[in-house]
Amino acid sequence: MSGVVRAAWRLGVAAARGPAGRPLSQAPAGRAAGGGAEGSGGSGSREAVERLVRAHPVVVFMKGSPAQPLCGFSNAVVQILRLHGVEDYRAHDVLQDPDLRQGIKNYSNWPTIPQVYLNGEFVGGCDILLQMHQNGDLVEELKKLGIRSALLDAEKDKDKK
Amino acid sequence: SPSLRMPAPLLAAAGRGLWAMGDGGPLARAIRAKLAAALQPTHLQVLDESSRHGGPPGAETHFTVVVVSGRFAGLPPLQRHRLVHAALRAELAGPLHALAIVARTPQQWENDPLVPPRPPCLGGSKQERRRD
Repeated sequence: MSGVVRAAWRLGVAAARGPAGRPLSQAPAGRAAGGGAEGSGGSGSREAVERLVRAHPVVVFMKGSPAQPLCGFSNAVVQILRLHGVEDYRAHDVLQDPDLRQGIKNYSNWPTIPQVYLNGEFVGGCDILLQMHQNGDLVEELKKLGIRSALLDAEKDKDKK
Repeated sequence: SPSLRMPAPLLAAAGRGLWAMGDGGPLARAIRAKLAAALQPTHLQVLDESSRHGGPPGAETHFTVVVVSGRFAGLPPLQRHRLVHAALRAELAGPLHALAIVARTPQQWENDPLVPPRPPCLGGSKQERRRD
């Protein structure tokens, strides 16, 4: 696997506290009283999750924040995005919102965190994002979203030397 | 592996003995049995990584599974992972807190029989009052 990603993992929390993406957990106003994850208008409802995943081309549900991930798998997602120069994305800390945590699992029919959405579409967790990074698919998917991966510029610089 | 060809009752009877031999605890064996039944893997590794996430050895909360199966042919990674999740639905609704998956066809495994290193734990489990 890429030595760069391996190095990124070793940096761990220290690297995660560098210049970071937007750490925010969006608990929308007006949670349904007594409602569970699926309560209408609740932060875990299909409508609420749909709004979140469509709010930005790159949306991540994770544990902790890009500045301070609280799980190795969530940190891996943050590090991979950072390698590609993607710092502007929506990150939601599911530890702050149990209804959202359950709601996204229902929405994507996926049992674990982190979860990555590109252009409103569920892409997978950390393992899949890592595969996409390694096989070049992530650069292509970002390009489709109008995002130029920093790795393309790194390649260009290499060629110039 | 020989254990995949053992009849179920024999496997269950050997359970306690198998744990002592390093085949893992009850959850590891359940995961192994369900993946074997659902995907008929040619290669299967079930690794309890719980101790790398702050739990005691043998805590059986975080697993990595390496599944090599012809059933994955033609399926993109997302669908492969969904097959694994479907086989382990009960465990994922219960004690299985986190699951890392390597899902390859026999051809892919032959070309690349290496598993990427796991990301280091950042202590997330300690921050939580309840599990997934």
